[in-house]
Amino acid sequence: MRRIRAAAAAFAMLLCSLLILGQAPARADSYARISGAGSTWSQNAIDQWRREVTQYGMTVDYAGTGSSDGRQQFANGTVDFAVSEIPYGMTEFGVREPPPRRGYAYMPIVAGGTSFMYNLKIGGHQVTNLRLSGNSLAKIFTGKITNWSDPQLRADNPGLTLPNRKIIPVVRSDGSGTTAQFTLWMSKQQGALWNDYCQRLGKPTPCGLTSYYPVIPGSGFIAQSGSLGVSGYTRQGYAEGAITYVEYSYAVTTGFPVAKILNSAGYYTEPTAANVAVALLQAQINQDKNSSQYLTQILDNVYTNTDKRTYPLSSYSYMIIPTRLESPLTADKGRTLGAFSYYFLCEGQRQAQPLGFSPLPINLVQAGFDQIKRIPGVQTQSINIQGCHNPTFSTDGTNTLAKNAPFPPACDKQGPLQCATGTAGARNVTTPVKPAASTSGGSSSGGSSSGGTASGGTTGATSGGNTGGSGGSTGGSAGGSASGGTASGGTTAGGTTAGGTTTTAGGTTGGKVDPDTGLPAGDAGGSTGGAQDIAASSVAVGNDSFWGMRTWLMGLSALVLLAVVLAPPTIARRLNRGGRR
Amino acid sequence: MRTGARGAEPGKAIGRSTRAPRWARPAGPAGPSGADNGPDQPRRLHADSGLPDRVFRVVASGGGGLVLAVMLLVGGFLLYRAWQALSVAKWKFLTTSAWEPDAHHFGIAAVMVGTCLIALVAVIVAVPLAIGTALYITEYAPPRLRRTLVSIVDLMAAVPSVVYGLWGLFFLQGKVIGLARWISTNFGWIPPFKVDGADPHDPLATPTVYTASTFIAGLVVAMMVAPIICSVVREVFSQTPVGEREGAYALGATRWGVIRSVVLPFAKGGMIGGTMLGLGRALGETIGVYMVISPVFKVQWHVFQSGTSSVSSLIALRYGEASKFGMSALMAAGLALFVMTLVVNFAASSIAARSRSGATAE
Repeated sequence: MRRIRAAAAAFAMLLCSLLILGQAPARADSYARISGAGSTWSQNAIDQWRREVTQYGMTVDYAGTGSSDGRQQFANGTVDFAVSEIPYGMTEFGVREPPPRRGYAYMPIVAGGTSFMYNLKIGGHQVTNLRLSGNSLAKIFTGKITNWSDPQLRADNPGLTLPNRKIIPVVRSDGSGTTAQFTLWMSKQQGALWNDYCQRLGKPTPCGLTSYYPVIPGSGFIAQSGSLGVSGYTRQGYAEGAITYVEYSYAVTTGFPVAKILNSAGYYTEPTAANVAVALLQAQINQDKNSSQYLTQILDNVYTNTDKRTYPLSSYSYMIIPTRLESPLTADKGRTLGAFSYYFLCEGQRQAQPLGFSPLPINLVQAGFDQIKRIPGVQTQSINIQGCHNPTFSTDGTNTLAKNAPFPPACDKQGPLQCATGTAGARNVTTPVKPAASTSGGSSSGGSSSGGTASGGTTGATSGGNTGGSGGSTGGSAGGSASGGTASGGTTAGGTTAGGTTTTAGGTTGGKVDPDTGLPAGDAGGSTGGAQDIAASSVAVGNDSFWGMRTWLMGLSALVLLAVVLAPPTIARRLNRGGRR
Repeated sequence: MRTGARGAEPGKAIGRSTRAPRWARPAGPAGPSGADNGPDQPRRLHADSGLPDRVFRVVASGGGGLVLAVMLLVGGFLLYRAWQALSVAKWKFLTTSAWEPDAHHFGIAAVMVGTCLIALVAVIVAVPLAIGTALYITEYAPPRLRRTLVSIVDLMAAVPSVVYGLWGLFFLQGKVIGLARWISTNFGWIPPFKVDGADPHDPLATPTVYTASTFIAGLVVAMMVAPIICSVVREVFSQTPVGEREGAYALGATRWGVIRSVVLPFAKGGMIGGTMLGLGRALGETIGVYMVISPVFKVQWHVFQSGTSSVSSLIALRYGEASKFGMSALMAAGLALFVMTLVVNFAASSIAARSRSGATAE
């Protein structure tokens, strides 16, 4: 006990000394502690800024509990500021959220893209270059497309042989601004699908945006709380086939790819900082300073921005700041909030891009500076905006980031080509595409050169089940016809159990057969050299029959074990009792 | 139930005296005071309690009263706030499973069933674990190890539930899918173990149908309630009368024999009380469940099926709900949970109080 007490005392001393040391570099005018709550969409950026301002002696607490909760907490006066993607006063399923009684104003803090992170493998390799059109996306999240091998998805991805797996849409279970942004986009761009989905749920139509993603029970949707919850679920090994919507930074930090989304110019784009900046050039910002909705966004033109580089689901995130000195805000807290806001609007924007966000353009930064002045207790700073090193700033007033944004390569255009390069967190992982869809040999590899003799036979033989043999023989005999479908028969038959890895020599390759689907992975193949790996993914299979040999043996062994444990004492007791009588 | 009443038990006389009726106790030193009035009238005792005693009495009863008042206020507040929703929903509140308060179509059927099933799974897993641990600590473990084990179990109780939630979501879930799949494949003919949409013969079938289920949420909650049950039960086990224990040893009982014939019968009330305490905690567990489950508003009897719900996670999820009526509906759900927890705890204390070890278990 004494030792514990001594240890505790030592620990406390250490803690105190650390605190003192930690406090030492802080400036004499220490800041009051402030707290905020809300969006998880922009949480990665806010957390980064919070960490940075501790060096100035500011302590900012932030709880990523979802935008709805943040707005509610701000209205109830339990936090000093909130962060939300959507403003107060939105109507969700016919219910209008009342604005708070506190004085409040909106201030944009960062831009970003609502991205679609997915976990998909083809033949054991992670897919990193998935492309989706807006219609496919809406169909996936309304339960109309339920399988990755759906023809519409294959049309989006001519270079991929999508596996015959179920799509697991992972949605947010808590009230979320990300959900609101996504459903707003769906209601504006894919209204028919979204309204149909609402109707199936018995909601009033037309239904606009909602913060709570409605889920039909038993539809295979998974709902998780928070951006970390959905991205964490999606990245698990068992969640193969899952797709979710989160801010781009979560995909970047998780190391997972995001889907490229088709924009109005016919290009599939990724929500990079540059693409988001380009898209948001068309955002309509409420410029009426007397409106309570001042600085809020209308994104209709962003969705339909015809610039090739546009990422259609781009948006701004807002901080809801207090404008009246009332509980829980004090002048001291206002000073901290002001200083924190100056920090992230100026210097903080530099970190937006590496984190997976997009920095604010100059006009919004200036408008934000004006908004900061409305916080009671703020110490107004005059900041030379050039000193912020915001990548969007230029001397002539244009958005440098958007102006210099790279144009998408030709392989990202809607059509028969598909890029092999990865996206987001899996940027360095390329996904092999079919030769027909790759830019290099795409046009030359027609249907003329078609090998397939060797590979068909080998694949069939190695994976051989009872029908595999026949499949293999057909593959072999069919020879020249590159259709590979014959060979696939063999693979599917044998492929129900875990498979190994089959390597076929490139020169003679004809039908590269995908072990997941049994569909040919290469259209014509053979034209390009090099070895092609076909990695069969190991799959877990349930017991073939409950009353099989294995079960009997297991039951028998359990009985034997029980007997071994129980028999000796029981028999001994019997004998003893008999002896005593 | 009344283990103490079994007079024939060995070592009884040496052990702690059985609880005597209260009126009999003061009769000892003073002796019967002769011809008062009538036969066997208990003599009223009048002890002169001094000022400190009286102050203490007032403070103590004030504290007790305050607890009661707080409980009443919580219940009253919930009822007051829930009234708006309850007056609209009427009795349908108990039978509706959807949760659409703004469409005036809401009820607690789904969330209540979910809550109870999660708590049931938790208790089924936690109770054997906790009792086994407690038995090992009190009866078998060497003294040096005992102290370490006790502090580890206490530490387990001190871990915040968010941590358990994260652990359940990112670690446990992936590990128990296999077990869930095995059970539902082989015992799926028992209705609660069935999983819809799972085809064990399809190698490409997604294992996500086994995730975010009642079972996994229950396991996470079990980890939280096990240390609580364990410490209550351990306390009771360690209070087994030494005399009875020694008596049993003297009669030639083995260690297990002592546990079976002395420790367990003595601690029965404590074990029930501890279990109920754990059950109460399991019913109200919020964040751990909130992080693991995929909420659906449908009565979900299938324990291994993805998608379930609980009252507390419903409240946590929908707290940001915009409308006043929605809040009122949430308050009504909270009231239902409050009442249920209260009933469970009262049942627990009344069961526990009827046994010998009861007094310590509360």
